[in-house]
Amino acid sequence: MTRKNRLLKLVALGAYLFLYLPLFIVIVYSFNDSKLNAEWVGFTFKWYDKLFQNREMLSAAANSLIIATVSAAVATVLGTLAGMAMHQYRLKLLPGLVLAPIAMPDILMGVSLLLFFIMLNMSLGLISITLAHITFCIGFVALSVQARMTAIDRSLTEAARDLGATPWQCFRKITLPLLAPGIIAGALMAFTLSIDDFVITFFVAGVGSSTLPLQIYSMVKIAVTPEVNAISTLLMVLTLILITLTARLYPGALRS
Amino acid sequence: MQQKSWQQRLLTLPPMGYLLIFFAIPTLIMLFASFRYTGEYGGLAPWYSIENGTLAFDLTLENWQRLFETDIYLRLFFKSIGYALVTTLLCILLGYPLALMIARSQKKHRDLLLLLVILPFWSNFLVRIYAWMIIFSPNGALTQMINSLRDLLGLAPISIMYSATAVITCLVYVHLPFMVLPLYANLEKHNPALLDAAQDLGANRWRRFWRITWPLSLSGVYAGSILVFIPVLGMFAIPDLLGGTDGIMIANVIKQQFVESRDWPFGSVLSMVLTATAVLVVLLGAKIGQQGAR
Amino acid sequence: MKKLLASVVLMAATPLAIAGGQLHLFNWNDYIAEETVTAFEKSCDCQLVQDYYSSTEEMMAKLLAGASGYDVVVPTQNAVQALIKQDFLQALDKAQLSNLKNSDPGFLKRSYDPQNTYSVPYAFTTTLVGYNEKRLSELGINPGNWSIIFDPAVLEKIRGKVTVMDDAEELFAAALKYLGYSINDQDEKHLREAQKVIMKAKPYWAAFNSSSYIKELTVGNIWVAHGYSSDMVQARADAEAAARDFTINFVLPEQGAVLALDNMVIPKDSKNKTLAHQFINFMLDGKNAAALTNEIGAGNPNKAAAEFIDAEIKKQTAIFPDAATLARLETIEATSAKQRRLLNKLWTEIKIK
Repeated sequence: MTRKNRLLKLVALGAYLFLYLPLFIVIVYSFNDSKLNAEWVGFTFKWYDKLFQNREMLSAAANSLIIATVSAAVATVLGTLAGMAMHQYRLKLLPGLVLAPIAMPDILMGVSLLLFFIMLNMSLGLISITLAHITFCIGFVALSVQARMTAIDRSLTEAARDLGATPWQCFRKITLPLLAPGIIAGALMAFTLSIDDFVITFFVAGVGSSTLPLQIYSMVKIAVTPEVNAISTLLMVLTLILITLTARLYPGALRS
Repeated sequence: MQQKSWQQRLLTLPPMGYLLIFFAIPTLIMLFASFRYTGEYGGLAPWYSIENGTLAFDLTLENWQRLFETDIYLRLFFKSIGYALVTTLLCILLGYPLALMIARSQKKHRDLLLLLVILPFWSNFLVRIYAWMIIFSPNGALTQMINSLRDLLGLAPISIMYSATAVITCLVYVHLPFMVLPLYANLEKHNPALLDAAQDLGANRWRRFWRITWPLSLSGVYAGSILVFIPVLGMFAIPDLLGGTDGIMIANVIKQQFVESRDWPFGSVLSMVLTATAVLVVLLGAKIGQQGAR
Repeated sequence: MKKLLASVVLMAATPLAIAGGQLHLFNWNDYIAEETVTAFEKSCDCQLVQDYYSSTEEMMAKLLAGASGYDVVVPTQNAVQALIKQDFLQALDKAQLSNLKNSDPGFLKRSYDPQNTYSVPYAFTTTLVGYNEKRLSELGINPGNWSIIFDPAVLEKIRGKVTVMDDAEELFAAALKYLGYSINDQDEKHLREAQKVIMKAKPYWAAFNSSSYIKELTVGNIWVAHGYSSDMVQARADAEAAARDFTINFVLPEQGAVLALDNMVIPKDSKNKTLAHQFINFMLDGKNAAALTNEIGAGNPNKAAAEFIDAEIKKQTAIFPDAATLARLETIEATSAKQRRLLNKLWTEIKIK
């Protein structure tokens, strides 16, 4: 079904250019031998070198990975349950609770969680960040799982039940494998959302719990060195690897 | 039946409990905080006190009154809504052709083309803003080019950095994938036979688009618009980094109340208004969407 | 997939464990020399973990929001006063601070902490005007007066090339000085006047900017910046290092300006108070204190540092004010919630209109 429409293609090409040009510039400047992001001076690896000696950056990266792994794992479990529940039952409260955090601007969740943690007298740090990240990740996993549930043929599970499978067996042997691409897509989304989140983290972060986005924010704000370009380039490469890997392992996961 | 409700509880309660504790309760706390006094050094003052054995509540409407004391906050709300509208519109203008092109390309290419849209979205959001900071800097290639063009035409050089143009460009850039994805999901489902039939009946390209594709895609447009509009309304980082002296949006003032001014009650008031706005937009969008689907 | 992630996490987390523990320092951005950090880590076999802030308000907000666990914080005098009243600070154990004798008595026993029970001076800065020498001399503008930031007649020539601090206290202080009032003037009428001055000048400014003006000056995007003296020293050095075709300089406006005396304090909930004292004592050492001036460009309240400080820097009255200059400088005092609310309202109005 190809319709040749030059104008359409031209605008689309423009949109792709718009999407990629800025990232391309960041990558190029990460190799520029000048402290100022102005004119091109010469090729260098020194910003990468500096980056790997920057302990704050490394520890922020470690924090980000820990938070993203834990919150993606927990949110995947909770989100899968929610997604299945929303598909199977006519519920009133749960869909609202699942969708609201997605619909609310991030800043609202950030400040309300800040007030909440302060009220509990909880010290802000890795734990508060992780709890917050789980909250906004659940919805995305739930939606991804719910979408997949709709695609599953109900007669399969019904047949299994008729043949005498227990609900658990039925879930384990039929629903779960069929659901896997949805769960994996949700988990992946949760992981990237968590590792990418700046706004909510900004409000609930405490001492020594700086994450990569927070670190980047302060670097961008102060804008002292092109190390920012280097870390950005590395992050792009990392996500690229992550996506390719997922696409290879689970060809269906990205589409849903 | 007994068993079913046991299952239902197992599935429903854990996520619901979590979201109640970490989403619903904090929101209520924020609502409550909007009626409290500020502490002497920031934060919140105690909301009750016991004097001579009697309990007294220290709550106030002052924070809400402050919202209407001057028109600055309302104006700021309208300005932010304006920014969000412009951004949404631009996202449609740019995202629609892109989604249409992907939906109409050969099947084997679609995944790749779509992935190319999502890919930048997976690089960190601040990195993407930062890229534009480089582009817009007065010594950057873009500004230099524009200014040498203006120079040829005899116009004074302009600066894009720290301007509304910079803010909106970046807002569009960051939110474009949110528009393209739902649009594509919608456009992909269209039955090409409809277009063929229209063509057979002699409808030209534009007519086919406006009479068939566009009406059918409206639900996708609404979904995408909500996904763009709401996050833009709550954005503070982009105006913070790229906005000039008048570039702030409502979220900047909320952030300012919580971070710089330490006036949490008033920050809560503004947050509640923003929440209400977001809820309204979603409801409105859902309603129009339903009508459109009919 | 999970295994891969787990191993990445482990790999990333391993270099973090260090024998002597960690010292969490909450400091202004760009306010300690890199060599000092390495030297201290060597001396204590520990790790110095820094978080940064770019305004007093930001620091207070973080601390009051329950960011517990910092071992040393470097607040400005008015913040010290507020933190003491909040019962937030640990009384210092002077026995562990043998280098306290190095502090210049002129900076000790100030009104915000009369006996230095909780705080010892770290460094000081002035808030002044940094400028692009070449551009301003081309235009024939005198930078040594607040009119360069507030007078539309002057600003007309440098429209879009000026940034001011994104900090209500600092900007209002400058505007009050421009009007001839005291920095701590709390008269609403005077504050309104200052607001008017700011509003009139605002259209000429490029942005409110408290953090990246060093870079903007160095690149040449901005010709005049309202900011901290230490940052201007950095901008000047950076421009020189990058061999720009202009120089950056700075000057204290003749009407007077803000002097900020930054202090080291230990929060009550610090988990490593011995190490915190060790750090403070380390920073009070003449040579280490001198690095703050030589590398960062901060003014130095340390007598013992004098001999290590570059003669070139010592001559700068903007960094080391002489008696006459000192008389024109004022420190900002702690404000009450009500005062902050008023200032905040005026500030928001400025930002919106």
